[in-house]
Amino acid sequence: MLSSTSNSDGAQRIAPDRPGFVRLTASDRPGVAQPVPVRDIPVQPWPRMFATAMALMLLALGAWEWRMRALGLEAGDLDDGPSAWAEQRRRVGAENAPVVIVGDSRILFDTDLDRFEALTGTRPIQLALAGTNGRPFLENLADDPSFRGLAVVGIAENSYFRDAIGLNAEALKRYDFESPSVRISFLLHRALSRVFAFLDPSYRLSRLVRQADEGWRPGVVVPVPERLWKLASTYDDRQTTMWSRVETDPRVRAHQRAVWGVDKPSGRPITPVEDALVASALEKTRIAVAKIRARGGDVVFVRPPSSPEFRRFEDVRTPRARAWDPLLAAADVRGIHSDDEPSMQGLDLPEYSHLSRACATVFTDAYARALARVTPRIALRADAPPALKPADCVGVDARITGVAAPASR
Amino acid sequence: MLKKNDASRDLARCGRCVPGGASMVFNSLTFVAFFAIVLVLHAMPFAWTVKKVNLLIASYLFYAAWNPPFVILLWISTVVDWWAAKKLVDAERPAARHAWMLLSVVANLGMLGYFKYGGFLLENFGALMASLGVVYQPPKLDIVLPVGISFYTFATMSYTLDIYLRRAAPARNFLDYALFVTFFPHLVAGPIMRPTELVPQFQQPRRASANQLCFGLALMTLGLFQKVVLADGFLAGPAEAVYDGTKMPGALDAWAATLAFSGQIFCDFAGYSTTAIGAAMCLGFAMPDNFRFPYAAIGFSDFWRRWHITLSAWLRDYLYIPLGGNRHGEARTYFALMATMLLGGLWHGASWTFVVWGGLHGVYLAAERMARARFAGYRPSALALFGLGLLTYLLINLTWVFFRSKTFGDAWRVLKGMLGLNADAVPILPAVDLVAIAVIVGGIVAAHWLMRQRTLESLLARVPEPALTAVWACLLLAIVIEQGSGNAFIYFQF
Repeated sequence: MLSSTSNSDGAQRIAPDRPGFVRLTASDRPGVAQPVPVRDIPVQPWPRMFATAMALMLLALGAWEWRMRALGLEAGDLDDGPSAWAEQRRRVGAENAPVVIVGDSRILFDTDLDRFEALTGTRPIQLALAGTNGRPFLENLADDPSFRGLAVVGIAENSYFRDAIGLNAEALKRYDFESPSVRISFLLHRALSRVFAFLDPSYRLSRLVRQADEGWRPGVVVPVPERLWKLASTYDDRQTTMWSRVETDPRVRAHQRAVWGVDKPSGRPITPVEDALVASALEKTRIAVAKIRARGGDVVFVRPPSSPEFRRFEDVRTPRARAWDPLLAAADVRGIHSDDEPSMQGLDLPEYSHLSRACATVFTDAYARALARVTPRIALRADAPPALKPADCVGVDARITGVAAPASR
Repeated sequence: MLKKNDASRDLARCGRCVPGGASMVFNSLTFVAFFAIVLVLHAMPFAWTVKKVNLLIASYLFYAAWNPPFVILLWISTVVDWWAAKKLVDAERPAARHAWMLLSVVANLGMLGYFKYGGFLLENFGALMASLGVVYQPPKLDIVLPVGISFYTFATMSYTLDIYLRRAAPARNFLDYALFVTFFPHLVAGPIMRPTELVPQFQQPRRASANQLCFGLALMTLGLFQKVVLADGFLAGPAEAVYDGTKMPGALDAWAATLAFSGQIFCDFAGYSTTAIGAAMCLGFAMPDNFRFPYAAIGFSDFWRRWHITLSAWLRDYLYIPLGGNRHGEARTYFALMATMLLGGLWHGASWTFVVWGGLHGVYLAAERMARARFAGYRPSALALFGLGLLTYLLINLTWVFFRSKTFGDAWRVLKGMLGLNADAVPILPAVDLVAIAVIVGGIVAAHWLMRQRTLESLLARVPEPALTAVWACLLLAIVIEQGSGNAFIYFQF
């Protein structure tokens, strides 16, 4: 059967010089006008096969969706990424944002936007990014004349005191230019993610196959982002929380802890961060803060907690006296360090680096109140809920209490 | 050593990247919605001219979905060649015909040269000056490379050139011609269509039958499976880990990564072509084959009759033959061959590594030509043919090293690894990747050998319906659960 009704004489006039090739191509016809292509359609009941294949696929997909939900994935867990970030970044100028959060995964996971809003009447725009140095994003805000609000900068010193942006450098490029095609795909994907749980980059087919390899080949060092299993759930406004299974499944939690590699020292000596990197970070921060203040804005640094296992490493690499304290001094800004606030002590860090869902709410409660103390840009509402204590979250199952579940979820 | 420009770097890395400037790639949700609307519109009871206008507008939207202002470039290219061809036909004096043809060539190559090679030329000019002791700092141009410019430039040029060479008559109307240039299935990454292949198809109403529509969808499924699951899901990562990393690969990792890239580039580009052919078929149009199981090629002339057929045929018809081809003695033939392959290499990207890739293929072709002349009476056995085929595949893999590497330093690092010369080599790829590469690339090469003298259609006609249906369902499911992330096709940047 031929799909083209057009003249194919041109093709037939030239005898095939390679027997077995049932269809000539341009490579067989040098120096002549190429004729209208002729395409065969294999004799099969294609419409019936298509309908059956689609039905089988949908059945199998239903089973896959059921399995993914059984594993803890949920519809409405939206994929984070450069387009989601760029969408929030565009809000900064459009909404004359009063509070914007930049930083790395700690301030991203550890902030409960609903709690912040309930306390202060202001819902911050969440611009922190996992695995990413917050400083270039602070500089990006500093270079934006439309930003005149408060920048809350989450600090994990090992991420902040380095030159590289980290995993999500693409986000800034996406904000600078996002093609219509990419934006439409993002919106469609988000709409589908509200319905289907299986749409999760951590549970792609190829990723699941790779996870089967438990270090079979000696000596191979797979980069941390590729070794991590699903760690977070993301909702509207990029509200991000620890994935519930990290809290509830000892196997998943143990894996994530092992990936960080902080509870089993590798034997390699930990070296303090280089002076040049510290100096560079301090100077760039000072300039960025000055730019924001010159327009009437302000900056406050927040240092979320990390576990003693992490602190063993962090306190050698970027001790407070070399990193946090000089940072506040160089930029002449106020800071809220979890070490200094009793209400931020003893919180639950299931995989050592990020707070549990319930404790993220407690931490947010504490740092929002602290912000109100250190900057006039944040004030507690008259009807603000009472303060939370670490006891409100430690040892509490977030799924039962619902303490960290945003209403929009 | 000069580095590739940003666009080339991105394309080499694009197995994992999600470019914000991505065009409307076939493996994106935007395209799914777009194509559904186009299919519905094309099935509506409109007049044929209205349907063609719909297709033209859809094709411009397809291109604008990358970066709307750059549609202007497409218009310029379209209008220049339309008028050049029109004037060329009307011209009575050979000199005038020649001048109009030159206008088309200069305008097209001028745009291509500026956008694709402007930065590269300046960078090399600066390096040349520096080597002569002259301090010259070239300005940073930051030129955006328009998606698919190499493809639609070649398509529009073939229109003027075919008319100049009296191989084709001009299109009857501007709509048919503009649709030939812009038709979205081939617009940004081929197959590179000739006017005689497509313009006649626009002259009469076309609508896919139910069989055509469903077989077109089957082809699109196959193409997207190759791209989303095999190329992006399993092969891009290992290639990236070795080629873009700083670790020294040993023989196993260097070979595995290179084989992975050989599979990735095939699945990426052949996947695109298959999807494009399927999309056109769903609308009732026929597009030519662009790949014919190339990893079963025996020799390099055979390889180029199987790999990116529409480009190699274009270069042969509009470059190699005008340069003299094989009609002016051996020396001229070798010159034409090398010039064609070097320029063909440069077509792929503004980098010397692409030139070396093309040059290696030129050397291979020249050596094969010499060997054929020297052993004219030799008739190899089946086993010898198989051996020659494996040797061809091996040597092609060596060329992929230069194609994939960002710099000559990276290429040398991987080549030394392939030869086992990296003394400080460390294991890079996890075992699961090695297994996946062995299974997928081994499967691709085996399939090419089984199919080397057949067409896909001839095979599909013989497979029992239940088995074919089950495979189709599995491919669909694999595409959906792999999810994809709208990664650009590698050839978009060419």
